[in-house]
Amino acid sequence: MSNSKLLLRNRDPYRGLKVAIGVLVSILFIVPIIWMLFVSIKPNGFATSNPLDWFAPPFTIANYIDLIWNSMILQWVLNSFIVGILTTVITLIITSLAAFAISQMKFRFKRFIFIFFLLGLMIPGEATIIPLYEIVKAMNMIDTYEGLILPMVASPIGVIILKSFFDGVPKEVVESARIDGCSYFKLYYKIVLPLAKPALAAIGIFTFIGSWNNFLWPYLSILSETLYTLPVGLPVFNSAYSQAYVLPMTANAIASLPVIVAFLLFEKQIVKGISFTGIKG
Amino acid sequence: MKKPWKQDLKAVPFLLPFFIAYFTFTILPIFKGLEMSLYDWNLVGKLDFVGLANYTEMVMDNRFWRTLGNTTLFVILTTPTMVILALVLALLANLNTKLKTFFRSSFFLPSILSVSVISFLAIFMLQPYNGFINNIIQSFGIEAEPFWMADPVLAWVSIVVVTLWWTVGFNMILFLASLQDIPEALYEASEIDGATRWEQFKYITLPQLTPISKVILLLQVLASYKVFAQILLITGGGPGGATRPLIQYIYEAGFTQNNLGYAATMSYALFFILLILSIIQLRYQRSEEN
Repeated sequence: MSNSKLLLRNRDPYRGLKVAIGVLVSILFIVPIIWMLFVSIKPNGFATSNPLDWFAPPFTIANYIDLIWNSMILQWVLNSFIVGILTTVITLIITSLAAFAISQMKFRFKRFIFIFFLLGLMIPGEATIIPLYEIVKAMNMIDTYEGLILPMVASPIGVIILKSFFDGVPKEVVESARIDGCSYFKLYYKIVLPLAKPALAAIGIFTFIGSWNNFLWPYLSILSETLYTLPVGLPVFNSAYSQAYVLPMTANAIASLPVIVAFLLFEKQIVKGISFTGIKG
Repeated sequence: MKKPWKQDLKAVPFLLPFFIAYFTFTILPIFKGLEMSLYDWNLVGKLDFVGLANYTEMVMDNRFWRTLGNTTLFVILTTPTMVILALVLALLANLNTKLKTFFRSSFFLPSILSVSVISFLAIFMLQPYNGFINNIIQSFGIEAEPFWMADPVLAWVSIVVVTLWWTVGFNMILFLASLQDIPEALYEASEIDGATRWEQFKYITLPQLTPISKVILLLQVLASYKVFAQILLITGGGPGGATRPLIQYIYEAGFTQNNLGYAATMSYALFFILLILSIIQLRYQRSEEN
């Protein structure tokens, strides 16, 4: 640490107060989540008017076992995983292929095609969801995995990020590979993609979290309970309970634990990803 | 010299998969929506051509204006509060302390939760009689039993607070990244000139954050105009339609009242509002980058 930084730090008479405020606000932010996790391990039917009782024993994992055996929650978790993983993989493949062509290949109307892809940034999915429903219906994909996944994979922001990443691959590397008779596909697969791992990871994480939490489209396009994803299934499940918290909170905890774990594992990439895309989703 | 079209053809397999998905599910709905808005169209399919009747109905429809007004109220309530809260949290997460990672993680953690989870957390926590929040209020000796969802003002307060808590982390990270980009030399130089910490904040930090603040502001307006899920799940649009947003009305017109043509028409209105906002946003962001 430089001297000047030390000097600045020492000069702030309110530093202690600010740190205390930071601790207080942090706790306020995570209390609901901690509360959810504690409620989920209380005995079923537990009720109290003393807020602190939620955080005291007795604890049990019976609710988790109950929900896993006697509800659709596990099926919905599985659906969310299948949809999330397939959406992420397909998004990464098609956006990286398109970005590779725009970054590394020569063809006519390239600028026009790139601008055409960029237009997608200005098209809000929420405002085109009614016609989208009709299109997916005409393709017989309402109430299917395909109908959930395919409309979500064409991500213009993914193409933009990957293109700028591919642009940074050294020209000499690409040219020498071409001279050695390397095909475009080999160049894409063997050279350019491995160099873009950080960008692929960031886009992959965002796509997965976005899919895991997506509400509006699955809410419209899925009718069968067996195909529900968690965000659609949870309200159905939760609405059946108005006063008893324990089982619905267990369901919410089951829905949240995978993303909380993913967040704690990938926090650095997520934070970096946000500051380098600067755009939601 | 190869023929140029042969060269062009090589790019096709790379571009085609994205192009098909993009055209079918992003571009085509815009034209399909225009067609639908000109027809009497229900869940079974296309009925009669009605010209601009759906549009005149929309202009005369009080519920359309009311729900658009509710959405706009949500934008007005959440945008300034969001920008200020995000800045304050970023300043806290930028403090020189070992706890800064803990601060950042805590502020961001709610953002990764599903809208369904945060909505039901809010419902259960805000429940009268045995809700966590009311019990906390009472444990301070305050004899009150607020019905958070039954009163329009309290319902709006609940929705705004929950939305801030849920989404502020993303904006906080954007502020934090810009804070860390401010050159240390600026502070050192001002130090030598004898600037106080408040003066440094006012004349260095804030001006350096102005560009990102404007980007965040515009992104927030855009995101807030799309509000739907948390209101649907927390208040259902109530009490008495006081919090019902436009997208909920579009959904109900289409799927409850079986009038997809009219739903598509109102979607078009939303589309143009969002389009204009995002053109402003992209223009602005580009001019900042140059």
